[in-house]
Amino acid sequence: MEVTMALFITKRLLMALTTVLVVAVLAFLLVHAMPGSPGAVSLGAGASQEAIDEVNARLGWNDPLLTQFFRWLGDAVQGDLGISLIDGRSVSAALLSRLPVTASLAAGATVLSAVLGIALGVTAAVRGGTVDRIVGGLCGLAVALPAFWIGIIFVYLLAVQSSVFPATGYVPFEVSPQDWAMSLALPVITLAVGGAAFIARQTRASMLDALQQEHIRTLRATATPTWKILYIHALRYASLPIVAGIALQFMGLFGGSVVAEQLFAMPGLGQAAQSSVSTHDAPAVQGVVVIATVVVVAVNLALELATKFLDPKLRAA
Amino acid sequence: MKLLNSTARGSSAVLAGALLLGSLTACGGSSQATAKADTSTLTLAIDSDSASFGFDPLRVSAAQRQFFEGLYDSLMTLQPDGSAGPGLAKEFSYNADKTVLTLTLKDGVMFTDGSKLDADLVKANLDRRSDPALSAYSAVAKGGAQEITSVDVVSPTQVALTFAKPQPGFEKNLASTTGMIVGKAGVADTASLAATPDGSGPYTLDPSTVKGNKYVLVKNDKSLDASNYPFSKVVFSVVQDPQARANALVSGQADVAMLTSSTVDFAKSKGLGVSQIGGTVNTMISFDKTGKTAPAFASEKVRQAIQHAINRKALVDALHKGDIPAWNALPKDSAGFTDELETTFAYDPEKAKALLAEAGYANGFEFTIIASAQTQTDLQAVQKDLAAVGITMNVKMAASTDEAFAAVATTPLGYAPLNWDNPVGVMYGVVLNGFTNVQKATDDQLSAATGEAAAAKDDAASKTALTKLNTRLVESGWMIPLYEALTNQGYNTKKIKQVEFAGTNAYPLLSSYAPAS
Repeated sequence: MEVTMALFITKRLLMALTTVLVVAVLAFLLVHAMPGSPGAVSLGAGASQEAIDEVNARLGWNDPLLTQFFRWLGDAVQGDLGISLIDGRSVSAALLSRLPVTASLAAGATVLSAVLGIALGVTAAVRGGTVDRIVGGLCGLAVALPAFWIGIIFVYLLAVQSSVFPATGYVPFEVSPQDWAMSLALPVITLAVGGAAFIARQTRASMLDALQQEHIRTLRATATPTWKILYIHALRYASLPIVAGIALQFMGLFGGSVVAEQLFAMPGLGQAAQSSVSTHDAPAVQGVVVIATVVVVAVNLALELATKFLDPKLRAA
Repeated sequence: MKLLNSTARGSSAVLAGALLLGSLTACGGSSQATAKADTSTLTLAIDSDSASFGFDPLRVSAAQRQFFEGLYDSLMTLQPDGSAGPGLAKEFSYNADKTVLTLTLKDGVMFTDGSKLDADLVKANLDRRSDPALSAYSAVAKGGAQEITSVDVVSPTQVALTFAKPQPGFEKNLASTTGMIVGKAGVADTASLAATPDGSGPYTLDPSTVKGNKYVLVKNDKSLDASNYPFSKVVFSVVQDPQARANALVSGQADVAMLTSSTVDFAKSKGLGVSQIGGTVNTMISFDKTGKTAPAFASEKVRQAIQHAINRKALVDALHKGDIPAWNALPKDSAGFTDELETTFAYDPEKAKALLAEAGYANGFEFTIIASAQTQTDLQAVQKDLAAVGITMNVKMAASTDEAFAAVATTPLGYAPLNWDNPVGVMYGVVLNGFTNVQKATDDQLSAATGEAAAAKDDAASKTALTKLNTRLVESGWMIPLYEALTNQGYNTKKIKQVEFAGTNAYPLLSSYAPAS
């Protein structure tokens, strides 16, 4: 079985690397399809053609595409994603400094949506009747509301009217853990609302299925404590789709944090992506795409391994 | 369907409730509002990234003066009344025909790289003026109306600027980013300025800065002028969303915020102070006065017809609540402002039609204007007004930056905000010889009025010249003003003294922000 598992991991790693490579090629080609050249972007509208040509030549923009791509790839695998055309700084360093912000947002929102979603989903499945209908209705509403609208309401109520939380800004954890938590609170809640509703629906459906299983009825008949039946046996049985839902949430939130980052003026990857696209900063755009892809592929890989671990049938396969 | 007994249902509900409550209360804590105000730090919420191109002050325009004022000193400084006063140059003088400006430099000025100010350094800075990436030098570059032909070292403390044409009053240009001086290391290795400023200003950049999001400036002990800046730390917080900026001010994350007119009432309703100033007139500009791209635009009567066809009040009421409808090319606070233009060019579609008929366009005509995301809505409102008098204006979104820039040569009309803080500079650098006149149209009255304004020796002469200039700009239809946008500075009255503007400059001096008590 260990050999099977090693083979499985190897296969998945190769697939993950292929995915990253394909995305890197696509990002590279898209950036080259953008209007304007790096020289024109970095020198601005008033630049002479000679000056633009000089910068392009220095950056190797006139080399064959394949040469440019492999040069970029060679540097990227060593952690060098190039130099920003706009401010001449290292793209890797700039994006790595922003990674903790987006990761904090996505991880915080995922954890909160998982906790709320599982609790609500289990409650709806177990209690049924009116409670089930209320939870179902609330989930429908939460899924339908756009995140930016939810954010505006939270800011108005909890930052503007009552000053409970800061309305904007991000405080790094190393500066002040308490202020870090405070600065993340509203954006995390904003992003978690829709996710919690999604996970609650998933959990409810899975729990309903789990509670009807033969082994759960047997456990009830043997007077096993209810909490054990619900949260150890039934939830474990129901966990596969829930874990998949949580991982999907994380991936979605990581890529979609731009709304919260704009609304709360947070220096994350989403904000960097928006500004680099608007300024045609090609190396920065490529860098954001590659980093986001690596994160999503890594989470996907972790999900597959977790699924294998959670489901004995898959583990044996 | 009930699958479990009541105890089980109860326990799941309690757990769910506890989790919900826990997740919410865990995020609680100390209230921002009750925190004691920290007068050692000034936090300004600004609407865009001032240092998106790094920390070379010469790569930005005068609109970024406030931010760069913290890091760099200028040869001249903007004074609270809007005039130019001594800066790194303690004295200046012109030769008889105003073609040479000699500056005498201050002693003891040190840059963050350890270098000292001298005439060689000023020359090294100004000799970068042929670099097209340096926006601050665009007006003084070769071929420009205010071209500096040479910079000469007279002595270690004296430097002479020679101009292609007489430039009375040029010193005011040196009170903006154009006059900012970079240290020796920064000039020698300009690429280093992308990440590290090299100035002699009252503040230095703190490592806690997060580029594009939060710029932290701390007092520069080596600066001779640091004591004129009340706060020991200044934070420029970039908040692009207008409502988020207002929210940041209301909830205490910012002490001062640039507000859009639409959020002014909200800020006032929360007890915050708001200082307002005009100065920026959103104007349609006739790029083509010779009829090269649209023959109708060669006729002054056609351009006057457009003045009469636009319902400026309706435009402001619908799209720019709080701003001021404008019939003047120059702003309300300008010496050249005149109420007469409001009646002379009042909204009158019938008069517009009559003027079109007199010009030979009784059946109207058609042209295209290039729009951006920022101007599209305004242009659509104008489009409706023009259609009512028979003019078909096609609004086309710019497909690329190249297309937007090329519009000055390919379309007859454009739309841009114009700041008239330095009217002579705008006339020479933008209107008469600049990018809005690529067809090289001439107007004797405009040239004469600009010359008079440049040579004016006192306020009365300046007022007369600027009034002539303003009137002719509108009458000729070179400028078709729409509305004057107010610049709003919201501030926390408990912490900050009333914000004052420097003359008509839309960006207060960084040194002018002071604690409330």
